[in-house]
Amino acid sequence: MAIIGQLFVNGLIAGSIYALVASGFSLIYATNRFLHLAHGTTVAVGAYLLFALFSVLGIPFFVSALVAIILTGLFGLLMNRAIYSPLRKRKASNIVLLIASLALLSLTENIIMLIAGPGVKSIGWLPTKTGIHIGGAIITPLQIAIIVISVVLMILLYLFMKKTKLGRDMRAVADNKELASIAGINPIRISDYSFMIGSAIAGVAGILIGLEQNLFPTMGVMLIIKGFTGAVIGGMTSVPGAVVGSYIVGVIENLGILWLPSGYKDAIAFALLFVFILWKPTGLFGFNKGVKDA
Amino acid sequence: MLRIKDLEAGYDELNVLKGIDLEVKAGEIVALIGPNGAGKSTVIKSVYDLATVTGGSINFKGKDITGIKTHELLELGINFVTQGRVVFGELQVKENLEIGGDLIKDRDIVEKKLGAVYAKFPALKEKENTLAYTLSGGQRQQLALGRALMNDPSLLLLDEPSLGLSPKLQKELFKTIKDLKKDGISILIVEQNAKKAIEIADRTYLLENGSVALTGGKEIVKHKVIKSVYLGG
Repeated sequence: MAIIGQLFVNGLIAGSIYALVASGFSLIYATNRFLHLAHGTTVAVGAYLLFALFSVLGIPFFVSALVAIILTGLFGLLMNRAIYSPLRKRKASNIVLLIASLALLSLTENIIMLIAGPGVKSIGWLPTKTGIHIGGAIITPLQIAIIVISVVLMILLYLFMKKTKLGRDMRAVADNKELASIAGINPIRISDYSFMIGSAIAGVAGILIGLEQNLFPTMGVMLIIKGFTGAVIGGMTSVPGAVVGSYIVGVIENLGILWLPSGYKDAIAFALLFVFILWKPTGLFGFNKGVKDA
Repeated sequence: MLRIKDLEAGYDELNVLKGIDLEVKAGEIVALIGPNGAGKSTVIKSVYDLATVTGGSINFKGKDITGIKTHELLELGINFVTQGRVVFGELQVKENLEIGGDLIKDRDIVEKKLGAVYAKFPALKEKENTLAYTLSGGQRQQLALGRALMNDPSLLLLDEPSLGLSPKLQKELFKTIKDLKKDGISILIVEQNAKKAIEIADRTYLLENGSVALTGGKEIVKHKVIKSVYLGG
């Protein structure tokens, strides 16, 4: 039965990464109400920035990581300011914004390919280590770090949303945008902040994936599909829901290997997505309206 | 205080208001009554930049405020309580109120304002830590009003505040509105309850088909149009 333990641990590792992707995606969705699918490529931008700063320019690792996270956050802000905001000013529909996000996804991937080339890259900071045995499962120190960093970051995000004025204003805009502006909250400012914070978290995801796996320009597509699935399971506008949903995706797709060849891992996530869209579109924690934060 | 001149406004292609003149003087309650679709709410929404103004002007304290963004109007001292008792359902009662007082930088003053709102509406104090969507209709109305009072408004815009409230709660509401006037707040109220509106208002405007059909003080209640159409007799 050791295999189940191992698959569960693998699920937790995958879920941690998906949770980082989904929480930012869900935060952006809740305050802006459209599907920012280019969020997947934001993860790739984070990973490639770390590669450029650390592996190419030789800047110390932690400095590189911090700068990469900040720049990824600013990349999110740039997308909002340069593309989405002007479209919304012209009263573009959500479908137009969705198409714009797909265009942005493809554009960014191609820019990465143009600069870094189509081949895989690796950060090469940590030598490959043998794992530690925990109850029959093997886990590397880096994988433990991925889980811990993800959980700590999600707790910080939760506290930020609950305890700060900016977090409260974000929840207010997510709840009712028109009332929020009537109550004196500038929705454009909140939109900018949600893109910045959500994208910075995607930057962290990019760095963690970059340390664990190889980088390739289209790495963001599968991640946003998994993150999106996690967010749908959690209820789209609920950030904690998106986190729980992501762990569910990670664990189920890995446990599925018990019955299906491992090549079907992604198909399991898609199946989950369809199940929820068809039978539980509000997700496990979502409301039809507004954001639930507890 | 508020002076609207020859206002034309609507939504996208639809023109609702066809030249409205209206004034709210300091310390006054002014009521807007009229049938559905006459454009009552559109007048308030034009002030709050939630409708498209295509002509005329809106002055507040001598300053042209046409086109000032919704979220910036609070700073001028104009607050808006929307139709339908809309509150931030997923936020705590206290958070709803605190958002209203965000422009006040001094935390002590915010606490004081919070205390004043709780004194006016004790039910809110009891529920300050619960999520607002759990409140009853009447409490929601109190919360919506309370939020607007946190910022010490000089002009309050109320859109159909009594709609859907029980007669008992309506009575309480109109009493609260009269109290607000005593506190020195000017009020522009859109009301479907014409009788009550005329009763509490210093002046009333009857809107029909996007124009002012009739205007006057409390004596307007005796006018035959008002009598026959709006008071059911």
